[in-house]
Amino acid sequence: MREKLLQITSLNASYGDADVLTGIDLGIDAGEIVCIVGESGSGKSTLIKAIHGMSGLRITNGSIRFDGRDITNLPAAERRKIMGPGIGLIPQDPGTSFNPIRRFDVQFKEALQSHGLPYDENAIVGMLRTIELEDAKAVLRNRPYEMSGGMNQRIAIAAAMMFRPRLLMCDEATSALDVTTAGAVVGELVRIRKEQGTAILMVTHHLGIAQRMADHVGIMRKGAMIEYGTVRDIFENPQNEYTKRLITDVPKLKK
Amino acid sequence: MKKRKKQLRNRMIIAAAFALLLVLIAILAPVIAPNDPYKTSAALIRKAPSAAYLFGTDNLGRCVLSRVLIGARTTIASTFFLVAISFAVGILIGMMCGYFGGIIDGLLMRLADLMLAFPQMVVAIAVAGILGGGLGGAMLALGITMWTSFARLARSHTLAIKNEPYIMAAKLQGKNSFQILFTHIFPNILEPVLVNALTQIGTTMIGISGLSFLGLGVVAPQAEWGSMISEARAYIQIAPWAVLFPAAATVLTITVFNYLGDAVMEYRDAD
Amino acid sequence: MGKQTAKQIAKRIVSLIIILLILSFLTFLLMYLAPGDPAEKRLSSQGVAVTKEVLEAEQERMGLLRPFMVRYGEWLGGVLHGDFGLSFKDDMPVGPKLVAGLKKTTGLASASLLLALLVSIPLGILSAVKRNSIFDHIVRLLSFIGNSLPNFLISVLLMYLLCIRLDLFPVVATGSLQGLFLPAISLAIPMAGRFTRQIRTETIEQLNKEYVTGLRTRGVREKTILINNVFHNAIGHIFTVVALQIGVLMGGSVVIETIFRWPGIGKLVMDSINARDYPTIMGFVLIMGTIYVVINLITDIVYHVLDPRV
Repeated sequence: MREKLLQITSLNASYGDADVLTGIDLGIDAGEIVCIVGESGSGKSTLIKAIHGMSGLRITNGSIRFDGRDITNLPAAERRKIMGPGIGLIPQDPGTSFNPIRRFDVQFKEALQSHGLPYDENAIVGMLRTIELEDAKAVLRNRPYEMSGGMNQRIAIAAAMMFRPRLLMCDEATSALDVTTAGAVVGELVRIRKEQGTAILMVTHHLGIAQRMADHVGIMRKGAMIEYGTVRDIFENPQNEYTKRLITDVPKLKK
Repeated sequence: MKKRKKQLRNRMIIAAAFALLLVLIAILAPVIAPNDPYKTSAALIRKAPSAAYLFGTDNLGRCVLSRVLIGARTTIASTFFLVAISFAVGILIGMMCGYFGGIIDGLLMRLADLMLAFPQMVVAIAVAGILGGGLGGAMLALGITMWTSFARLARSHTLAIKNEPYIMAAKLQGKNSFQILFTHIFPNILEPVLVNALTQIGTTMIGISGLSFLGLGVVAPQAEWGSMISEARAYIQIAPWAVLFPAAATVLTITVFNYLGDAVMEYRDAD
Repeated sequence: MGKQTAKQIAKRIVSLIIILLILSFLTFLLMYLAPGDPAEKRLSSQGVAVTKEVLEAEQERMGLLRPFMVRYGEWLGGVLHGDFGLSFKDDMPVGPKLVAGLKKTTGLASASLLLALLVSIPLGILSAVKRNSIFDHIVRLLSFIGNSLPNFLISVLLMYLLCIRLDLFPVVATGSLQGLFLPAISLAIPMAGRFTRQIRTETIEQLNKEYVTGLRTRGVREKTILINNVFHNAIGHIFTVVALQIGVLMGGSVVIETIFRWPGIGKLVMDSINARDYPTIMGFVLIMGTIYVVINLITDIVYHVLDPRV
């Protein structure tokens, strides 16, 4: 069997005391969209932190493999090379992922140069336009603290996408946005996958989003993956009582 | 997490014990001092440390150890006194400003801003210089600017609690402003202002001994570390002990009080 | 934004002028209230035998018999034209003396500031990055001790050690470049201690900000994060710390210049205090106060330029 792009095997992780993630198994193929759904505190965002490994989370058991390589306890210098071109992240509050007081263009440039890539402003501007950021050149001259949350969200997506990562992780990327913008962001992610074959791991508390974009859906509760399956299985034939309750609680979104 | 807090607590207690020891030494100085710190002796000029004179003698044949001990009294007592007065004045002004607001608040806070706008030590040197020396003058010179930090802190903490339900309840019970200020607000803002006082001790000591060193503080023959160092500096080549022992005492004392201030701050910040 | 900023700055300049006026008034008041009669001081500091007639003539000549506000106005008017009056000691104009001293003091102060920053910026940042390592503990200990040392004590100890014990430096500095070294170090050590502590704290605070994780998730080089972002964001705060420290530095240079006989404005003021030469003391307070207030205004503007949110 061909190895998956991301393979997590019986993963446990903790912040020091008790494990906050237990026995997580998850595989994502190239070009696949997986949504992890759970309430706040279910451990779904922690799972993303375990994968990018930059928040002081300690992995106590199991392994994470990415692109055929064990990245469970990768040294920071090695991990840095993967982050960006390998794994991209759109964080929960994208405004905070930039230095608030430096211009976007400088920050884009530094990120690219950190990976030995050239800074081509026209390419960046073109990309910002495709995610409906008009006046992209002016945007690049701005600083994050001057922009609205929705703007920063889009720019953060662009900053993740400019590397054309193999895997794009979105941590509640729509929770701070209004319904319309959230819908646009989801549409954009789907388009990105289609055009570039990017695998997407989306974490959300919103089942409607999972239903609209995912190939596979995982349900998390109390740090464990309690159900995992294709989007059709989960929504039409849920096995777990908790999943059933979640689905009946949530108003259906039109596809 | 708990463990760290406990560690910090122990550290704080140890630092406090050292500080207390220094204060005790200062209080008991006249009893502990082996010789009369003011007694000059032509026969004992600049004698190296010996069994009878552990820290040696100075230019006038006075016992350096006894002078260091009595000097502890001068330095520590004047520092505590100055910090205490600044604390009292500052907390009073700050509480009133925060509680009553209005014109008085505006005026006093502008005054505090004004005091902070000038370099403290420059003001102190000029004021002490013009007052013509003396410990009182030096303390006044430093105190002019010192009360402001206490006042600001007390004011902001008063503002933060003055609309709390228990203050409202006290008002409804018909208590007057004076009672509310002293029975309800004062105990609740005391801790942070007290901690600020603690962290000021080291700096104040540096200020007082600095002014004394310049001859603008304690006047001879009274023993104070800064002025002892200043006096003995002239003959440091012949009798280094007359400088080195008061210097060591100064460093030790300031270090202990600064360490205590740090330890208390860290203990409070850790949760 | 530009207009808003300009307005803010204009406002600050107005309040700066008010502060300076108050400073000049307080300075004058201080001398007015000072114990003793200036005419008597002047005569005795010049070694003239003071009789009643001589004193009264002198008071008349010095204009001491006129109302307080008139004298203040006259003094202020003079100061604004660079005329700080005549020294009680030698009847020479105070202004040029202050300027000459200020030049020497600026040299000493800049050297010590530079020295302190050169040491504390790398140490503060590194110890923040290597938090809780042995290196960090050593740096913290040293900066704690430095912070606790009064500079007169450092200079006396350095003199003893380097000039007397090891015979490496001349004991009296008298303005030469070689003589600059010890006084500059004496001033720099406590400052370096304070700066290191504050730079470390500020760097740790910046490192804990979310944007650092954000940059890391894009794989930005650690060096770029540290220098172009963390230090960049911290520098406004560092400026403020340095500007506040200038006030301490001014006081410190009085002590240090007196010890090393460095011919700066600090030594000048101590000599003037000992000689009760009021015009020089007044000029000193006014000049130092003005410099301090102006430096702090400039710092606020620089901070705003570096971090427009402030």
